[in-house]
Amino acid sequence: METLSEASRQALFLLFTGDKELWTIIGISFTVSLRAILLAAPFALICAFSLAYTRFPGRRLLISLFNTALSIPAVVVGLTLYMMLSRVGPLGDLRLLFTQDAMIIGQVILCFPILVAMGHSALQASDRRVWETALTLGATPLRAILTVIHETRFGLTAALVAAFGRIIAEVGSSMMVGGNILNHTRNIPTAIALETSKGSFAQGIALGLVLLLLALALNLALTSIQGKGEVAP
Amino acid sequence: MNNPAETPWLSLQGISFSRAGRTILSDVSLQFGSRELTLLTGQNGSGKTTLLRILAGLLKPDSAILNIEGEKRAESWMRGRSALRNNICYLHQQPYLFDATVFDNVAYGLRRRGLGRSEIGRLVTGALKTTGLDHLIQRHCGQLSGGEKQRVAMVRAWVLQPRLLLLDEPVANMDKPSRNKCLALINRMQRDNIAVVLTSHDPQQGALHISRHLHLYQGRMASKESLAEPSESPAAVSPAQPEKQPQERKPNA
Repeated sequence: METLSEASRQALFLLFTGDKELWTIIGISFTVSLRAILLAAPFALICAFSLAYTRFPGRRLLISLFNTALSIPAVVVGLTLYMMLSRVGPLGDLRLLFTQDAMIIGQVILCFPILVAMGHSALQASDRRVWETALTLGATPLRAILTVIHETRFGLTAALVAAFGRIIAEVGSSMMVGGNILNHTRNIPTAIALETSKGSFAQGIALGLVLLLLALALNLALTSIQGKGEVAP
Repeated sequence: MNNPAETPWLSLQGISFSRAGRTILSDVSLQFGSRELTLLTGQNGSGKTTLLRILAGLLKPDSAILNIEGEKRAESWMRGRSALRNNICYLHQQPYLFDATVFDNVAYGLRRRGLGRSEIGRLVTGALKTTGLDHLIQRHCGQLSGGEKQRVAMVRAWVLQPRLLLLDEPVANMDKPSRNKCLALINRMQRDNIAVVLTSHDPQQGALHISRHLHLYQGRMASKESLAEPSESPAAVSPAQPEKQPQERKPNA
């Protein structure tokens, strides 16, 4: 077994020499997760806005369901999706199992409740006068929604960052419906799991470093968007 | 309406509103001409704010017959609501200023009307200069005092030249200098042919040329008193266009 320092040295070497296999894995991870979040975010935002700004029967139940869905393990999503997409499953004819599309579906299911629940919290805490002021100044309802989103952007950005952090690091769903196929569906978390099981830690540490750097970059971006990060005087 | 010769452009008959089984407004009727300054008084919970929010098209009444320029809109509150929003501006008791500069806040409504950038710049600068707020033009709204925020919000409504401006206790909790500046701005709006309704607990609003005093008591119009004709002001000018109004008063101009 490699020592930790030796494995770390090899990891940095792989990263900075542009190891093709490693960078392909990183590329797949980002492509899949970015597509999933871009697909989920608009619908989640509409859903969060509807929950915060409209009244309809079953609204509270829906909020509770989304909050409950926050704690669904990724592996349960993966298992359910696997059963749906497998050849004998109801969606087997789509032949999506072990494809990036299947991984994207799994990640959409995982990030959607986070986006809705956190988005709803941010919008619910926003000042209703924003919406009314926009309307009374002549904004269309769509424009008023955009104004509310702008005024709530810190909370909504935090929701996006949290959701992206969850899906880029999840292993259960991607492993089960993606199949961990090299150069096709192997992403950072599934690759780390595989390399660890083989006792080859260098690539795992390198990929772990990428995830940590990503988390740092996302949080720096969020802090930058949020300004000083203090209550306005 | 205190001038019998003038046809009211807006009338609402039989406004009733209840929430959670409690009647907040019951059979309230109102009509508005231009250039009137209406003082609406009443105790806490008498329905003043609810009435203003209904007039602004922000709340749907249980029943009301809306008539705008002779056109009855009783059949569809939604259609009538957009007509109200196009003609009426409402300011909350503590107006909300967007997370932006004073310029961007005052320009918000003008942008929604599709005016060009230079036109917006001219109108905003002119309005702020007229009201003595031009030194704040690039200031972020989070850095303004309470009185400055109130006046910026009033200017933001004024540049749109609404036919009716609804002010919910605009000078509550203000010191005397800020209060006087706000009242001067309300008088200025009235001279610009904007009808104003302002709510207050205090029936004494010395610095204002009040045309009409309405009093709400437990959701009903308790008294209706015309005080004086609105003062004529041939020198009335709009904030940024000395020779004419900045906007034609057409819905969705």
